[in-house]
Amino acid sequence: MAGTGSFLGGVHPPEGKQYSEHQAIEVVPTPKQVMVLLSQHLGKPCEPKVAKKDKVTAGQMIGSVEAFVSAPVHSPVNGTVKDITLAPHPVIGRTMAIAIDTDPADNTPKRPAAERFGRDFRPEQYTAQQICEAIAQGGLVGMGGAGFPTRVKVEPNPAMPKDTLVINGCECEPFITCDYRVMLEWTWQVMAGIRLAARASGCSKVLIGIEVNKPDAIRVFEQAAAELKDAFKMQVVPLRTKYPQGGERQLITSILGKQVATGGIPPAIGICVLNVATCAAIAEAVVLNQPLTHRVVTVTGRAIARPGNYYVPVGMSVADLIEHCGGLTETAAKVIFGGPMMGPAIADLSQPITKTSGAVTLLTAEDVTRAKFEKRQTACIRCGRCLAACPEHLNPTRIAHAIKYGRLDVAENYYMAACIECGCCSYVCPANIELTGYIKTGKLQKARAAKKLG
Amino acid sequence: MLSKITVTPAPHISSKLSTQTIMLDVIIALTPAIGAAVIFFHDRALVLIGSCVLACLWTERICNWIRKQPSTIGDLSAVVTGIILALSLPPAMPWWAAVMGGAFAIAIVKVLFGGLGGNIFNPAMAARAFLTACFGVLMTTWTAPATIDAAMPQMGPMQTEAITQATPLAWAKMAVKKETSTETLKAQLSKTFWGNEGGCLGETSALALLVGGAYLLWRKTITWHIPLTVLAAAAAFSAVFYFIDPSRYANPLFHILSGGMLLGALFIATDPVTAPLTSKGMLVFGAGVGALIMLIRIIGEYPEGVMYAVLVMNALAPLIDRAFKMVPAGGIPNVK
Ligand code: SF4
Ligand code: SF4
Repeated sequence: MAGTGSFLGGVHPPEGKQYSEHQAIEVVPTPKQVMVLLSQHLGKPCEPKVAKKDKVTAGQMIGSVEAFVSAPVHSPVNGTVKDITLAPHPVIGRTMAIAIDTDPADNTPKRPAAERFGRDFRPEQYTAQQICEAIAQGGLVGMGGAGFPTRVKVEPNPAMPKDTLVINGCECEPFITCDYRVMLEWTWQVMAGIRLAARASGCSKVLIGIEVNKPDAIRVFEQAAAELKDAFKMQVVPLRTKYPQGGERQLITSILGKQVATGGIPPAIGICVLNVATCAAIAEAVVLNQPLTHRVVTVTGRAIARPGNYYVPVGMSVADLIEHCGGLTETAAKVIFGGPMMGPAIADLSQPITKTSGAVTLLTAEDVTRAKFEKRQTACIRCGRCLAACPEHLNPTRIAHAIKYGRLDVAENYYMAACIECGCCSYVCPANIELTGYIKTGKLQKARAAKKLG
Repeated sequence: MLSKITVTPAPHISSKLSTQTIMLDVIIALTPAIGAAVIFFHDRALVLIGSCVLACLWTERICNWIRKQPSTIGDLSAVVTGIILALSLPPAMPWWAAVMGGAFAIAIVKVLFGGLGGNIFNPAMAARAFLTACFGVLMTTWTAPATIDAAMPQMGPMQTEAITQATPLAWAKMAVKKETSTETLKAQLSKTFWGNEGGCLGETSALALLVGGAYLLWRKTITWHIPLTVLAAAAAFSAVFYFIDPSRYANPLFHILSGGMLLGALFIATDPVTAPLTSKGMLVFGAGVGALIMLIRIIGEYPEGVMYAVLVMNALAPLIDRAFKMVPAGGIPNVK
């Protein structure tokens, strides 16, 4: 069964990619200090492996933990450990982090490695085990979203054999363009990563999903795929431009016409999904032995002087990054850690960039007013728009209102757990109810209650 | 600079829709019907629509004061209720009765049930039921549009101003009994379509209602589910009777175009607050409304059934929603 290139539900927010889509990836100068969070992945947080005043070098492993679902962290710079302390985390509030003062004498910024990869790259030089090991050592996590450790995804699992590798090049979130630039500028590095991942996971089929609003990326990848004569089939699948096309579950439906069961995971139906930036990181980790310490971050919106795509050390603060981009404009009103649909708004700009943060979006007072405050909130008029927009086919208003009135049991009965927090329901709601906000709160309450019991 | 930075939950952008724009769309869609009412009933239409809308707005404002809430009239939902109530009143209705209806719709049916979104029953239809209960005679005194040439047979002697006239539905019930020729029936049908027809303010022109309904569908303010199922169910129901005995029962097209059927299918049953949320639920709801309308028209005592049909299905809407729960995209999870 093949997919239709789309899924049921979803919304069409304004794309807003024009601010940064034509800006080539730019290397930022090394900041004076970086703050490397010890929890940048889904799973158990790392423990620090260095002490205060220790000298560290770029790429050195500075935190890790013994757990299956985990990924070590590395220093992006040469310098000295200044402190091991609490730092802001966009989702869980605060978490431990290692603060490193960079060595002013030795702070040439790391450059992207794309030119080291070409069409003649041969993935056969590496065994599946070598590849998995390098991915694990490099601290790779899914760079498009939740930050699931890549090793766990790629490594063959006899209980759930994988046959299809789906590459996520959708970048459906409005404003963000980092994956798009990576696809255009680092095409062969991404290709190398894809081929390594296919080899390691044992997948015989590779499908690359790209939204049709990125015709350049589709063309480049189609050409590249045609030039390679790999043992597995590699195919570029153009997908309808719709949010959240890049949601893992939606992507699988669009490309393959298959549905991941509620509460299930893609490997259960033989699928492994990787984001393009993650593939680029795989190539770097396996071939060059370089861990994930830098990533491309889109800084965008109307409230920033120089929007663009920047090659940023993981751990650089949002404030430093904004400063490098010319600073906020007078009208800045909201700083979003990520894109406008899913990214949390932050007030503390000392927030460090993480492995999963693809963007910092700066909205003006006007943007914010237009979106939220100008239209007063009313009661739910039961119009059903949130139901129609929900890509997981839930009943957002029922769930959100149950949570509002303290009925977690009712919310669960309406499958609160299946919500992917995409924000489509809040986006369409004419009554301007923060449906997604309520549902996130409900999930947190549920998690807390479960912790108390367990 | 930091002090100006706000933090709210994601998403940080939203569609252009608001409750107000949706209500405004409904008002826009009702303008052809309002226009038709004004053309056919002149100042009667203006007086009734005006008194209903003002009564609804003032009642809502007063309720806001009493409950010490900020004003909610800006969401325009009271205006919609007022217009729909007025359009479902007979033109001879005195203005003070219309005002009572409007006040009842807002104060009792809407605010007492929790205000916008909380009411179980469509306020306009519940108010109409209230008026029928209070002023039965007024509610069934139909006036032909002032422009009518009294061409319809079997109607009483011409009065000077307003002709007391049976609605086409009552007339159809009567006419078939008296074996009127098919030509007269056809003439009646075309009148129903273009307007110039006895009945409530908003029932006179099917064309005006269809134009408004098309606008709502085009704007995606309503979906096809409810209107289509109401009309399909009504057509199917009446077709059965028509085929059994065409001489006793009016044909389906006539039923669909006449009376409050279109107003009900396009503007009343589609009231989101009192209809089910899920699309499957909407299909059941619409089919129920359509079938009940015909049941009342053909078998029941009243010539017109939209009001009761909608009210009955309103009461069932929560049950329908519970019966047709959304199935998650990945299916119902095995373990909860
Ligand atoms: S309920 Fe969850 S999955 Fe559905 S639209 Fe809202 S945020 Fe997205
Ligand atoms: S979109 Fe908003 S108003 Fe419409 S049903 Fe959902 S919560 Fe209610």
